[in-house]
Amino acid sequence: MSSHREAPEMAKDPVADSTDVYAFVSPDRPNTVTLIANYIPFQAPDGGPNFNEFGDDVAYDINISNKGKAEADITYRFHFTTRVRDPKTFLYNTGPISNIRDTTWNRPQFYSLTRIKNGRSKVLAEHLPCPPVNIGPRSTPNYHHLATQAVHKVGSRRVFAGQRADAFHVDLGSVFDLGALRPFQHLHLIPMADTAGRNSLQGFNVHSLVLQVPISEVSRSGKAPHDPEQPGAVIGVWSAASRRKSRMFDKEKGAYVGHGPWEQVSRLGNPLFNEVITPMAHKDAWNARAPKGDAIFAKYVNHPELARLLPVLYPGVFPHLAAYHKSRADLNAILLTGIPKGIVPGFQNFTGTVESDMLRLNLAIPPTQSPNSLGLLGGDAAGFPNGRRVGDDVVAIELRAVAGVTIPLVDPSFTPDGAAGLLTDGTTDTNGGTKATFPFLGDPGGGYQTQPGTSAVS
Amino acid sequence: MSDTTRRKLLAATGAGVATGTVGLTMGPAQAGEARRSASSARESVVAYVHDHRSSEVRLMVGEREIVVHDRDLATRILNAAGGR
Repeated sequence: MSSHREAPEMAKDPVADSTDVYAFVSPDRPNTVTLIANYIPFQAPDGGPNFNEFGDDVAYDINISNKGKAEADITYRFHFTTRVRDPKTFLYNTGPISNIRDTTWNRPQFYSLTRIKNGRSKVLAEHLPCPPVNIGPRSTPNYHHLATQAVHKVGSRRVFAGQRADAFHVDLGSVFDLGALRPFQHLHLIPMADTAGRNSLQGFNVHSLVLQVPISEVSRSGKAPHDPEQPGAVIGVWSAASRRKSRMFDKEKGAYVGHGPWEQVSRLGNPLFNEVITPMAHKDAWNARAPKGDAIFAKYVNHPELARLLPVLYPGVFPHLAAYHKSRADLNAILLTGIPKGIVPGFQNFTGTVESDMLRLNLAIPPTQSPNSLGLLGGDAAGFPNGRRVGDDVVAIELRAVAGVTIPLVDPSFTPDGAAGLLTDGTTDTNGGTKATFPFLGDPGGGYQTQPGTSAVS
Repeated sequence: MSDTTRRKLLAATGAGVATGTVGLTMGPAQAGEARRSASSARESVVAYVHDHRSSEVRLMVGEREIVVHDRDLATRILNAAGGR
């Protein structure tokens, strides 16, 4: 999926596993940009007594490149601290939690927010409380109130860190069963009757870092750009999680103790890059690298494995794609450099020639009143791959792009196969829904309220 | 390698090195004559010899990693690690 459990080693470290990154000009405050980094995939809401939380031993970064070199010119770093108020109880809460500062919450979590710019760190805020997880109507009776209390103003910024409903949607059960797409599976190499897609992330939560900052704080010029074709109008965004280089288990403390510098173990820019572009053997090494070194992975973008698989898995459906053997300059632009000026009229999100996986956002393009979930493919330049909004259907967009829909942008001689523009896994966001205002991701499903799924062996 | 850095490692390894449940106490001759400097680390330190054929020793202290190249130092650690 986007980046949930996308690499073998990272799949064993969910607290540091970045699952999705979003970056968009804020519809509620268009002079700001909203940056979201999600972690800890597949949180069953009833997963107590030790409910999910951020890692105190992880440094969570949201990086911004604004000088065209694919380097982190600005980093917003989150550090968490967890307390146990009453060490004599096994309970997460000893009564209803009506306020995020209630002492009935036995395991509160706090964080600091630091901005690193030009090598200098500045602590923007400390001791900001997170909300508890959504336990149930007895323990967290007014969850929305708790979540609202956890939205903090930090100067002209707003920040939230805590549990949210996962807005990403994909049919994992189908996709990982030999690339099946339920709405089209009668055409599959191993055919079955078509059915509607199933959102595999239904009922699951994530932990989100949501930061809204003035555009002028992250732009190259220090001002809000107004000309989309101006080179400095575009920023690159990616998340990264780091752990201490050495981690030793301290038997006396019953905890791991870290030594040495922070080493990156996870990163995420474009959705699905590490998931379906990078070969499995390189995924964890990719996670540990900086985007500016991504040229070594360009061959997997230029000749993606998925584009070769589609004609095999769907015989006779993608003849034009099967016959196309040129380097995929369209995908290279979308994923590694941004789309240069002159390809899509009035649009560009080019960040320079350094091939790097970053989410690229043109800050001069205002939010759309009625967003099209297919983003730029749907004629909506405010959506993916121009940044990424919470409601963008990145699975359908990337499936269609890989299947050849975007090739004519750079190679007019190519005619996409008819099916390419129809591809979808057939899913929608069936979780908490998205919000029109900060923090944009919906309240998480509650442990008591959420019904577990139904397993089936055959 | 500076004396300061070397002393840091010797201070960290100290006169005893635990290997699993087996403790090994090195005598004064093996431990050398190092004395702690005013700037020596006052916190736990992890020493890492990645390649036993190399003279490189990596020290993890606080949020820093100090890379030293000292054949003698690496050899002392390897000898201690090989103790029974």
